[in-house]
Amino acid sequence: MAQPPTKVILLTSDNEEFQVDKDIAERSVLIKNMLEDIGESEHPIPLPNVTSNVFKKVLEYCDHHRNDPLPSTDDNSDEQRKRTTDINEWDQKFIQVDQEMLFEIILAANYLDIKPLLDVGCKTVANMIKGKTPEEIRKLFNIQNDFTPEEEAQIRKENEWAEDR
Amino acid sequence: MSSWSSKPVNKNEQISVPPASDLKSTWAFLQDGIEQIMTRLRDGMTYSKYMSLYTTSYNYCTSSRMNTATEPLGTGRTAGANLMGSDLYSNLIKYLTSHLKQVKELSDPLYDLQLLQFYAAEWDRFTTAASYVDRLFSYLNKHWVKREKDEGRKNVYNVYTLALVQWRSCFFLPIQDQHSKLISALLKQIEKQRNGETVETTLIKKVIESLVSLGLDEVDSSKQNLDIYQDHFESPFIQSTLLYYKSLSDAFVAANSVTDYLKMSQDRLAEEEARVDVYLHASSRKSLIGACEKALVSDHIDIIKHEFVHLLEFDKEDDLYRIYTLLARVDALDFLRKKFEDHVKRTGLAAIEKVYGNAEASKQGPKKESDKGDLDPKAYVDALLDVHTKCSLTVKNAFKAESGFSAALDKACREVVNRNAATGTSTTKSPELIAKHSDSLLKKGNKQTEEAELEDALNQVMTLFKYIEDKDVFQKFYTKMLAKRLVSGLSASDDGESSMIGKLKDACGFEYTNKLQRMFTDISISKELTNSFNERMTQTHDASELAVDFDVKVLATNFWPMNPPNTQFNMPAELQPTYERFNKYYNSQHSGRKLTWLYNTSKNELKTTHLSQPYIFLCSTFQLAILVQYNEHDSLRYDELKAATNLNDNLLKQTLATLVKSKVLLQDEDTYDLNFNFKSKKIRVQLNQPIKADVKQESSDVLKTVDEDRKFEIQAAVVRIMKARKTLKYQNLIQEVISIVQSRFSPKVSDIKKAIEALLEKDYLERNLEAGRDVFNYVA
Repeated sequence: MAQPPTKVILLTSDNEEFQVDKDIAERSVLIKNMLEDIGESEHPIPLPNVTSNVFKKVLEYCDHHRNDPLPSTDDNSDEQRKRTTDINEWDQKFIQVDQEMLFEIILAANYLDIKPLLDVGCKTVANMIKGKTPEEIRKLFNIQNDFTPEEEAQIRKENEWAEDR
Repeated sequence: MSSWSSKPVNKNEQISVPPASDLKSTWAFLQDGIEQIMTRLRDGMTYSKYMSLYTTSYNYCTSSRMNTATEPLGTGRTAGANLMGSDLYSNLIKYLTSHLKQVKELSDPLYDLQLLQFYAAEWDRFTTAASYVDRLFSYLNKHWVKREKDEGRKNVYNVYTLALVQWRSCFFLPIQDQHSKLISALLKQIEKQRNGETVETTLIKKVIESLVSLGLDEVDSSKQNLDIYQDHFESPFIQSTLLYYKSLSDAFVAANSVTDYLKMSQDRLAEEEARVDVYLHASSRKSLIGACEKALVSDHIDIIKHEFVHLLEFDKEDDLYRIYTLLARVDALDFLRKKFEDHVKRTGLAAIEKVYGNAEASKQGPKKESDKGDLDPKAYVDALLDVHTKCSLTVKNAFKAESGFSAALDKACREVVNRNAATGTSTTKSPELIAKHSDSLLKKGNKQTEEAELEDALNQVMTLFKYIEDKDVFQKFYTKMLAKRLVSGLSASDDGESSMIGKLKDACGFEYTNKLQRMFTDISISKELTNSFNERMTQTHDASELAVDFDVKVLATNFWPMNPPNTQFNMPAELQPTYERFNKYYNSQHSGRKLTWLYNTSKNELKTTHLSQPYIFLCSTFQLAILVQYNEHDSLRYDELKAATNLNDNLLKQTLATLVKSKVLLQDEDTYDLNFNFKSKKIRVQLNQPIKADVKQESSDVLKTVDEDRKFEIQAAVVRIMKARKTLKYQNLIQEVISIVQSRFSPKVSDIKKAIEALLEKDYLERNLEAGRDVFNYVA
């Protein structure tokens, strides 16, 4: 019989307590390292940079991926991972959220050090940008154009080689 | 069951962290935490503290650059997002520097063991804390440090590595500057251990491991760099090892026997090997063991070599093995191999000298060279085998069957087998004796009748056979003796015979044993022939006509070393019908074949009627021819016998002499009378004893044919080589001939020269006049 998984308690910035299986929590390298260093205890682990509604999404992801192999730290596979923008089906569905939530998830993944989730987030943003003009992108992300026309012309010239023809 | 659940809590357990925009309060908070980790980690750390420290460093590193002052470390950057972190990084350096300065001050009054203990404890504490801090700053490592390194900046490290770098420059190097007191303390401990005291090896191991960790590769920190270990520890350690064993071995040699010294050296070397495993870095094995080998073995090699010769005499295998392993380490085995070879040779020659001396002494009166035939082949072979067996065991036990020693043994044995007291200058004596010994093994009446025993004895013969240089001489004698065994039915077992032939075939190839094989075939065909002849005779003749039992062996002339007697001979009337019937029968079966009768090897049984009791005389055909004359007469003169048998004088006299000697006939000058008072204990009387002079004659006959055969073999080799090469220089031709025939015998150059001359005469070769007189052409 497998032992029931140990639980750890996580406390989000808005004071919501989460009882989470240890192996799920340890998808976060931050938490994994800390548990390794300090050991387990009854105390809740505070997460001052994460709110409960975002953390729920993160946990959903970690739960689904709890049995994935841990990402390797090898540089080569890192390159491989970066080269593709493919996202598997479940992750695509999972990341279909509004823009604000998308960015919150990315921030949380960065903070908690969950590399695969960070990848899913960043790739999603990359896919949103792909094939759009600067103007469209500005509109999409609500960015103000702070270039002067001269600067813009200069940049265009410098990046001419990259234009589609 | 859900894998996670949540509930809101009322009390505010959330932590607060300093604002990321404020470097001063941020660092103050972090430094306090680092100090706690560095100095009070034993008191524990809460999740809250850990998370607040992580979050603080994270927040600072992710904050926008707009909020900060200048970046003192980041220079020359032109484009892209600026990463925050250099302030934290330089503050970390400052903190570590001052922290380690305190540690260094604490170590100042400490020496030797105390210093080592302090160093090891501090190392443990510091490295544990550093790995904590490294993780708290993982965001700094992953982004700011990585970026700096990617841009090629030197001297920027991950936080953990940074801590080691600081340890090296602020603690390790400064204490080493005080007369390298840390390493001295370490070396003292190791010397104590060498002197048999108990020391804390885990402590030594820890300090040494720290030296290995401190070797940091400036370019790639994942690469191992042993600079610190080698410069600060390994080279002084090797130095002190050399000195230690130099004085130890000098003192030991002066006070102890060499065999004890060998044991000591072996133990010490094993000890040092173990030292590497216990607490040194594996890379030191070679130089450490090398230093020990130099001080313990190379520097005392002369006395060891001297002892070796001594130990060989007394067959001390354990000590010999020690010398072998010690000298194998310093690659000095050649000397031992040579000495061993000498030893085998000396022992072998002495053993032969002894049996030869015994054989000489047992003879009456001092005789000269001429009587060497009397040496018992078995004693000779046993003496050789004894030495070989003993020395092979030495090779196996003391020298681990190392190939160089096996070669030395073979070389010495070859020498002994071919040139010893019994052989004198004759190269053919040894093959003859060994062939004779195999004959006696395979003959009826040999005591080793058990199959396994015989097989064993034959294998031993093969051991010596391997060393014989003139294998063709052995072959000649062996063939001759096999022929005798087969013709006279003296073989103890067919299995034994074919086993031996198989062995010879394995050793020398098909050609070498071809004749021997054919002889066997002839014998079994002859059995069938005899049967079918006798059967036919009973069908075509009346029983009364077949008074004589007849058994025949038909031998192919080419394969059998037998010659018909050189004499006229009148077939006795009693045998005439059988003789004619068989001739006729054989010619009807194989027309065109010529039968030559070898009376000299035939055997006959003769029943006596003239004596008080019947005897059966076993005799040769010539003896029979004489004796049947006495069916009609009781007394005959020499000339009458000569007329009746038509034998030549030489043979007739010899044959008569045998009959007189066995007292069947009584000689009275020219007259030979039948002895009516002949008596014998046995019913069957063997009259057909070989005459001693015959045996001698045989040996020299064999040798004559050997010389003859060699001539042809050399000529054949020359022709074969020239046919392939067409043109060849004299010297090269000689070389190639030697390489071809030396598996059978070692040819003399003068013989090869003669062969070439003979071939020139016969126009197989010609001199190449353009290329010079010493170049030959093949004439097709």
